[in-house]
Amino acid sequence: MTTHLESSAPSVSEGMGLFERLLSLWVALAIVAGILLGQFAPAVPEALSRFEYAQVSIPVAVLIWAMIFPMMVQIDFTSILGVRRQPKGLVITTTVNWLIKPFSMFAIAWFFLTVVFAPLIPADRASEYLAGAILLGAAPCTAMVFVWSYLSRGDAAYTLVQVALNDLIMLFAFAPIVVFLLGVSNIQVPWDTVALSVVLYIVIPLAAGYLTRRAVIQRRGIEWFDNVFMKRLAPVTPTGLIITLVLLFAFQGEVILEAPLHILLIAIPLIIQTFLIFFIAYGWAKAWKVPHNVAAPGAMIGASNFFELAVAAAIALFGMQSGAALATVVGVLVEVPLMLALVRIANNTREHFPTAIEARG
Amino acid sequence: MPIKVTAAAREWLLKQGGVVTIRLSPRHGCCGGGTHVAVAEARTPDDPFAFTRFDSEGLVIYFAPSLEDQALVVDLQGLLGIKKLFVEGVSPTRLSE
Repeated sequence: MTTHLESSAPSVSEGMGLFERLLSLWVALAIVAGILLGQFAPAVPEALSRFEYAQVSIPVAVLIWAMIFPMMVQIDFTSILGVRRQPKGLVITTTVNWLIKPFSMFAIAWFFLTVVFAPLIPADRASEYLAGAILLGAAPCTAMVFVWSYLSRGDAAYTLVQVALNDLIMLFAFAPIVVFLLGVSNIQVPWDTVALSVVLYIVIPLAAGYLTRRAVIQRRGIEWFDNVFMKRLAPVTPTGLIITLVLLFAFQGEVILEAPLHILLIAIPLIIQTFLIFFIAYGWAKAWKVPHNVAAPGAMIGASNFFELAVAAAIALFGMQSGAALATVVGVLVEVPLMLALVRIANNTREHFPTAIEARG
Repeated sequence: MPIKVTAAAREWLLKQGGVVTIRLSPRHGCCGGGTHVAVAEARTPDDPFAFTRFDSEGLVIYFAPSLEDQALVVDLQGLLGIKKLFVEGVSPTRLSE
């Protein structure tokens, strides 16, 4: 669809500032800061954990909303109206994201965490890590995919449509997939707990985001919303993420100090899953002669995860001290370097795909 | 001016008042960073003087100056009677401007 006027791909620094390029470093520093906080000022996390209502930690809920709400506000559901623009791309991404990705994540994580690494990880801890991996696999990326699409010269209009479609599916599919796969893994989570976390961390931020977006646009206009409101709101997500991680590791400190190797062991299946999902979608797009500017973002959305939601659900379902929460954080730790590697692969294989003009015939 | 408006989009825009604004809309990543997406809306921009204007077959087209040399196509898509404009043809290497 898109006619590219320039041959070179954008440089990483054009789409990503210093903060996001070094996200792995900030996450690592948040881990260290959290561990130090837990070891030397344990009263702080203990005091924060006392602010509870209906078994929901208020500080944690606020931090999670801070992470998720800005992402929900910028979703433009009217983009779904373009669902017929690139049907092949949408068939591939929807099938891979919802019929393959959650189940391949479960299979790979189960195989590595409970079979291959069985001598290294206690069985109960492995189950918790598996739960975290399931949560990561159940929600595709919803915001960073715009950056990955941009860096691989993707079709921005197509990316808008696929994000809107996946977010709509996520609203209905996330909870059933998670409950099913946790059930298969013999990890019992009451339905009402899952329902509560979906309402708290998907439905409420999504509804609040939608209503806020409508109200702000009605009062101040779409340009003010884009150029002023979102500019002010956007930094809240990474700030909320880093503070959540510090708090989370204040609770997780003992586990990390006792078994630092676990972080590496959790990362292995997550890395394999990321590459697998990318190559399934990318290979399928190649076989269907989908233009590169659709194939690349179509493969990136499933390879990348909506990790704020995974972290939120893990904390809500299993608690800050759980292995599930730790596993979702490892997902954050490896996200940016992995996705930049995939961007590089996509840019280096562009000539194997038809251009947008060739695909149109 | 290389901007093209498809027949369907033109017909719909004329019914909406005959004005279209083509601009860059930011999209923020959850880890920070972000990019821009080219969007088209059936309205006059907040600050028309910040845009380039030209008239074409009854339509008044405003577009962001950074999109000036792009081979843009404004198309109309819809579902169940609801319509939305989409912009095709923007080089992603220009979206950061």
